Amino acid sequence: MKALGLGLVVGGWMVAVAGLLATEATMVRMGVALVGLVASLAGITALNTAHIETAPWKMRGR
Amino acid sequence: MRHLQRSSAIALAILGLVAITTPTRAADEAPAVALTTADLKGISTPSADDLAKGDPGGTLTGTAGDIVMADPKAGLTLADVVNQVGQNRVAINFVWTLVAGFLVMFMQAGFALVETGLCRAKNANHTMMMNFMVYGFGLFAYWVMGFAIQQGGSAGITNLGGVNPLNNEFKLSLFGKDWGLFGTKGFFLSGNTYDVGVMVLFLFQMVFMDTATTIVTGAAAERWKFAAFAISTFFLGAITYPLFGNWAWGGGWLSQLGVNFKLGHGYCDFAGSGVVHSVGGLTALAVAMIIGPRIGKYNRDGSPNAIPGHDITMVLLGCFILAFGWFGFNPGSTLGASGNGNLRIGSIAVNTMLAGCTGSFGAILYMWMRFGKPDASMSGNGLLAGLVAITAPSGFVNTVGAAIIGFSAGVLVCLSVEFLERVFKIDDPVGATSVHGTCGLWGVLSLGLFADGTSNYGGSWNGVDGSVTGLFYGDPGQFVAQLIGVCTLVGVIFTLSYVFNWFVDVFVGQRVSLEAELEGLDLPEMGALGYPEFQLVTPGTGHSVDVGR
Repeated sequence: MKALGLGLVVGGWMVAVAGLLATEATMVRMGVALVGLVASLAGITALNTAHIETAPWKMRGR
Repeated sequence: MRHLQRSSAIALAILGLVAITTPTRAADEAPAVALTTADLKGISTPSADDLAKGDPGGTLTGTAGDIVMADPKAGLTLADVVNQVGQNRVAINFVWTLVAGFLVMFMQAGFALVETGLCRAKNANHTMMMNFMVYGFGLFAYWVMGFAIQQGGSAGITNLGGVNPLNNEFKLSLFGKDWGLFGTKGFFLSGNTYDVGVMVLFLFQMVFMDTATTIVTGAAAERWKFAAFAISTFFLGAITYPLFGNWAWGGGWLSQLGVNFKLGHGYCDFAGSGVVHSVGGLTALAVAMIIGPRIGKYNRDGSPNAIPGHDITMVLLGCFILAFGWFGFNPGSTLGASGNGNLRIGSIAVNTMLAGCTGSFGAILYMWMRFGKPDASMSGNGLLAGLVAITAPSGFVNTVGAAIIGFSAGVLVCLSVEFLERVFKIDDPVGATSVHGTCGLWGVLSLGLFADGTSNYGGSWNGVDGSVTGLFYGDPGQFVAQLIGVCTLVGVIFTLSYVFNWFVDVFVGQRVSLEAELEGLDLPEMGALGYPEFQLVTPGTGHSVDVGR
């Protein structure tokens, strides 16, 4: 889960940069960059979810 | 007949006006008379007797007699005057940049007060020491390699004299474009980087880096092992921060998005909402995730408990010190006060002041409406949020834009704090991730929206002619460049910070022991209490540190 999350975080950035190379249309680049940003944020969410699953307060009830 | 006479009189009057204005225009267009060295010989200077009498009126001090002559036997020459003018311009810029850097350095005191005040008394020494030593660890790392990676390939900065020993950028050629990745000159400030202009640049950039590193200490406070903090800070100062600093400010690939991909002026970040605050805030998020929440922060059902800080006066005093230091942060980022459009420092200072005020206003309004009381610590965070957000666009927006950016940051920081605490279950004792991370990213994006196209710093920015202009003023390409910057911060900088700090966690351990955390970190980690005369009791846990018995 953590690896998947990190992969998504980096993958989002790669999508955004790939958009620069794929087209010269500014609005398309903007759309692709936004998709990349959403993917990265989803990756951070996944990563954090993985951390919460094993959080001490959840396991031990502190 | 009378009508004709009146018309003639009016016509004569108009002709007269034209005649009056015409000679003035002719005089403007007359060829300038060149000043020669001979003209300088006739300028009188105060005699030794005059100077011996003192100068209470201030009319004898600072005359042609103070101009340094290359050859005193030859007397004052035109070359002497011109050289003095040039050196005066650079001297003004040196002093401006250095004083601004000193102000930014003093922000460390503000951070120390804010973070310590928001923590419990049993961790006061530890929190203060992290803020104190981040200066030493960070500076050392930056001197060894951070500065070289960040600025080692930047071109000569004309405001600082234009001497260019930092001239080697490592680049990859991919897809027909050059992608600048890091600089390679200036390790240990040795070789030909032993230069007066480079030293000024180093001092100014170093205190910026130190600001980024001190952000993390707030998010991980009250449970961070001091050794892990030291290693993590060194890495941030030596690698993570300088890398993004190079891409944005050192001539790296983000700054060249305008040249290479025709995206406005490339990624722009006037004083560091992205470079300083987002880098620090995202690293804080990574560390807070890895290290986990403090004991007692969350109940078993996931609901959070408030853990109040021990000194709100410290917090608000710290916020004021930070707001004062920010006048070095933003206006100082012109790296000069003379020439190249640098007189915009007045506008930058006002934007900074406005955004901080509207930020605290936004936060207090939100908290008052949502919880029925104005919250002191969130008002402070609102002030900082506004300042963080205006840091990137401060040099490119007008006052209305600055007020909007600051106000929205003030509201945003409250929403972000609540979201991270309640949904993400991330324990950030001082709200560093929200203040610097969330609002830093907003600041980067807001530049792409609100830059009004009136700035002119030497006619170009990042190698693209003209003024930086945002989406609302007609250039959507600039907004895309800012978006790419945000994606890079989240996608690359966060990942880098997470992976490194994960290694630290595995090999050193990020978190103190359960016993140390319950007792408070002052004795176990630092060997001395912050407040030795007091009996410290942690509300709700029943754990206390009893001293003096």
